[in-house]
Amino acid sequence: MGVIHGEEMVLNIGPQHPSTHGVLRLKVKTDGEIISEITPVIGYLHRCFEKHCENMTYDQVIPYTDRCDYLAAMANNFGYVVAVEELMELKVPEKVEYIRVIMAEFQRIASHLLALGVYGLDIGAFTPFLFMLRDRERILDMFEMTCGARLLYNYMWIGGVSHDLPKGFVETAFQFLDYFEPQIEEYNELLTYNKIFIERTADIGVLPPDVAISYGVSGPNLRASGVKWDLRRNAPYSIYNKFEFDVCIGEGGKGTLGDCWDRYYVRMLEVKESVKILRQALAQIPKEGDVHQALPKKIRPPKGSIYSRTETPRGDLGFYIVSDGSPIPTRVKMRSPAFTALSVLGELAGGWMMSDVISILGSLDIVLGEIDR
Amino acid sequence: MTVDTLFSWLGSLIPAMEGSGTLLVIAILIPCLVLFLVVAVNAIIMVYAERKVAAFMQDRVGPMGQGVGLHAGKWGVLQTVADALKLLSKEDIIPEKADKFLFILAPFVIFIGAFVAIIAVPFGETVIVADFNIGIFYILGVGSLGVIGLILAGWSSNNKWSLYGGMRSAAQIVSYEIPAGLSIIVVIMLTSTLSMQGIIEYQSGGMGNWIIFANPFTFIAFFIFFISILAETNRTPFDIPEAESELVGGFHTEYSGMRWSFFFLSEYANMLVVSAVAATGFLGGWHSPFPGYFDSNGWSVFWMLSKIVFLIFIMMWFRWTFPRLRVDQLMNICWKVLLPISLINIFGVGFWTLIFG
Amino acid sequence: MSPDQEKLIAELVEKGLSGDMDPINAIEDRVLRSKAKSALAKAKRASKAEAASAPVEEKSTEENDTDTTPSDHPNQKFGKMIHNKFPNSLDAELNDTHIQLKPDDWFEIASWLKSEPSLHFDSLQCHTGMDVGENMLEARYNLHSMTHDHKIEIRIAVSRDKANIPSIEQIWRIGDWFERETYDMFGIFFDGHRDHRRMLLPEDWEGYPLRKDYVVQETYHGIIIPKVKEGWE
Repeated sequence: MGVIHGEEMVLNIGPQHPSTHGVLRLKVKTDGEIISEITPVIGYLHRCFEKHCENMTYDQVIPYTDRCDYLAAMANNFGYVVAVEELMELKVPEKVEYIRVIMAEFQRIASHLLALGVYGLDIGAFTPFLFMLRDRERILDMFEMTCGARLLYNYMWIGGVSHDLPKGFVETAFQFLDYFEPQIEEYNELLTYNKIFIERTADIGVLPPDVAISYGVSGPNLRASGVKWDLRRNAPYSIYNKFEFDVCIGEGGKGTLGDCWDRYYVRMLEVKESVKILRQALAQIPKEGDVHQALPKKIRPPKGSIYSRTETPRGDLGFYIVSDGSPIPTRVKMRSPAFTALSVLGELAGGWMMSDVISILGSLDIVLGEIDR
Repeated sequence: MTVDTLFSWLGSLIPAMEGSGTLLVIAILIPCLVLFLVVAVNAIIMVYAERKVAAFMQDRVGPMGQGVGLHAGKWGVLQTVADALKLLSKEDIIPEKADKFLFILAPFVIFIGAFVAIIAVPFGETVIVADFNIGIFYILGVGSLGVIGLILAGWSSNNKWSLYGGMRSAAQIVSYEIPAGLSIIVVIMLTSTLSMQGIIEYQSGGMGNWIIFANPFTFIAFFIFFISILAETNRTPFDIPEAESELVGGFHTEYSGMRWSFFFLSEYANMLVVSAVAATGFLGGWHSPFPGYFDSNGWSVFWMLSKIVFLIFIMMWFRWTFPRLRVDQLMNICWKVLLPISLINIFGVGFWTLIFG
Repeated sequence: MSPDQEKLIAELVEKGLSGDMDPINAIEDRVLRSKAKSALAKAKRASKAEAASAPVEEKSTEENDTDTTPSDHPNQKFGKMIHNKFPNSLDAELNDTHIQLKPDDWFEIASWLKSEPSLHFDSLQCHTGMDVGENMLEARYNLHSMTHDHKIEIRIAVSRDKANIPSIEQIWRIGDWFERETYDMFGIFFDGHRDHRRMLLPEDWEGYPLRKDYVVQETYHGIIIPKVKEGWE
C-alpha cells in the first residue's frame, strides 16, 4: 500500500486535555492521524516534594507522600514508613502489619478500579467507569470509617498506624468482598471481552520485556510483558510472605504479549489476587494489641542511607533516604513507578495512530502527582 | 399535504386574499415555526431522556430536583430547560484567530441540514409538511448538507483538534452515506416509489408486510442502514469526530454557549430524522403492527413516534455500552464489510423479487 | 534592577540583619520589597551556612570510617570485582554501604556491570544526586539484577566546579530521565547524554534547587516568587 506523506504537524496534547490523566503535555509530531514522534513534557505539577522533605521531620513527610500518588495514598504511606523503619531497624507489632497489608490491598483494588475504569473512558466506554467508581466508593467508605479521610489518609505512621480498626470493620470488609467478587465478572463482560475494546487494545503498544526492564518499568506494566516480578513475592516486605497469592503475568491473551490489553487485564487479575490476600489477612488479624510502637517524640534514625522498595498499585515505589542522625532527613528521593512508566511512552507510541497514543498512555496508568512530585 | 391544506384553509378564512402570494408565504411559515418548535422540544426531551437513560444504565439517578426553591423540577424534568437558559445567557466567544464569518456560519449550516430534512418526514397519516415525490432521496440529500457545516466548523475554529474532528467527520459521514443509500435502494426496489408516504402505503397490513420482514436481504439491509445512520449522526461507537478523550471536543472544541447548543440541536434533530427514515423505510412507518387495530389517524402519530423513540433508545443504549472505534477500523468496516454486503443485498433483493415476487 | 535600587536593597539588608525590619516593610513597590526580603533571606542563610560548615566535615569522615572491614556484603564483593577489572577506578575503601567510584571510567564500568553474565545488573533501580557539602556533589546509583536478585549502590563524587559524569543513558534507558532530573535538581552534567535538558523545571530556571545552598530566584518572567517562611519546623 502506498503511503502519501504530507507536511508534519506539531500537536500539543495537554497540559489540559481529558486523557492525559492530569497535567501532562505530550509534544506530538503527526502526519495526519499517524504519530511519528512523541515527547512527554512533565513538571506542571512539580511541588518540590524532595526539597520540602529536607525541611521537616520524618513523620511530617508522611502527608506529603499522600499527595504524590493521590490515587494510592495508602501505598505511598506504606512505602515511606517501611523505608524509615528499615533505616531505624524498627520492628512493628504484628497487628500493625496486618492492618497495613489490609489497607494497602484495599488501596490496590481501589486504584486498579480507577485505572481500569478510566482506561475504559479513554477508549470511549463511559459506563464501566461509573460501575467501577461505584465499587471504589465502598472502599473509600471503609477508609473513611477507619481514619476519617477518603483520599489523603496520613494513616500509616512510623512505628504504627494512626488509628486502630474501628468496630465492625472486619465484617464490613467481608461483606464488601462478598459483594465485590461477582462484580469482576460483570466488568469482564461489559468491557474486557467487548469486541471493540479488544480491537482497540490488542496488539497496540507492545512492550517487550527487555525494553521494559531497561526503562525501569515495574508493577503491572512489567508483569504484562511476561516478567514474573512482584516485590510482594520476590522481596517480601511487611508480612506478605504469610499469604497465598499468584503473581499474575500477561499471556498475550488477545494479541501479542505486552500489548495494551495485557496491561489492562493484568490489573483485572491483580484485583482478584488482592481479594484473596484480603480474605486471608482479615481472617488472621489479631484481635488485641497496640497499634503504635512507643517511639521518642522526635524520630532520629541512625546515620546512614537506605534504598527501600515496596509494590504499590503502579509498581516499585522506592524511597532513598539519607539520614545524618538528626530529626530532619538529609535527602529523601522518591523513585516513582509512574515516572519510569511514562518514560517508555516515547519508545512505545511512535508510529501508532492518534487514538492509539491515548490508548497506550491510558494503559500505563500514570499519576502525574507522582511523576512530578 | 399540510402546506396545501393550510393554504386553502387560510383562503377560505380570508376570502379577500384567496390565492394571493402573501397567504402562501404565511402557509409556508406556519409549519416552519411548528417544525422549529418540534426540533427544540425534541432536543430538550431527548437530552433529558439521554441523561436519564444513561443514569439508569450506570446505576445512578441522573438529574433530580433538590428540595424547595429554584430547582430543576420533580425528577429533574426541567434540567434541560435550565441548561438551555444557561446556554442562552452565556457569553458569546469567538476565538481571535478564527475565521469569523465561517465560524458563525457553521452551526447554522449544520442546523439547516437537519432542519430542512424534517419537512419530508411523515409523522402520521396526514401529518407531513410536504410529501415530495422524491421524499426519501430529498432527506438523504439535505441530510448530508450537515457535513459541510462540520468541515466549516473544524476549519474556521483555527484549532488543531477542531481540524482533526472536521476531517474525521468528513471522511466518516461521506463514506457511510454510501451503505446507507444502498440500503435505501433496497427499499425503493420493493416499493418502486421515492415518496415517503408511498413507501409507508406499501407496508400497510401489519408487521408481516413491513419491509424489514419482506425477505432475508431486507432484514440485513435494515441493520446496515442502522449502523450507517449511527455513523452519520456521530453516535458511539462511531463518535470519533468528537471523541472527547482524544480530540477534546472535535469540531466543536471552540464553540460555547448558544452556538454550541446549535450543534446539539442539530445532532438530536438528525437522530430524529434518521430514525424516522429507518422507521419509514423498514418498520412500516405510521402503520400499526396489528392490522385493523389502532390504525386510525391519531394512532398513526403514536405508532410513528414510538418507532422513532424505540430506535433512538437503541442508539442511546449503544452509546452507554460500547467503546469507540478507531478511525481506520471505522473506514474498514464501511468499505470492506458494509459496502460489499449492501451490494450483494441489492442483487439478492432483485433475484428474490424475480423468483418469489 | 537599577544601581540605585541595588544600593537601597543593600542598605536595607544591613538594617534587616541587625533586626530592624521596618524600613523594608515600608517600601511601597511590591517588586522591590520582595527583592529586598529575598536578599535579606539570602544573607541570613549565608551566615548560617558559614556557621554550619564545620560539623559537616566531621560527619562525612565518620560515615566513611564505618565498616571498612571486608565482608560478604554485595557492595564489597562486587566492588572487589570492579577493582580487579578496572584498577584505579575506586575512589575510597570498600565498605558495606556503597562502592565509591571515580567518574572517569564510569561508562565502561556500567556497560561491563550490565553485560557481565555473572553480574548482569539489568535494572537501574534508582539514580539520584546528593549534595554532600565541601563543594562536592555525588551521583548515586542503585543497581539491581533481576536474574540474580542482587543489588549494589554506587556513588560517584565530583566537585561543583567540574561536575561532569559520563552518562549511562544508553546502557539503562531509564537513565535518560533520571539523569535529566539529577541535572535539573543538582546541576551535575552528564557527558554524552543525547537529550540533556531540564526535566521538571522550566528550561530558563536559575539554580539547582536540591543543592543545600540553593536560593530561589526572585522573579520569574515578572512573577514574584513567594518566599518560604524561615524555620518551618
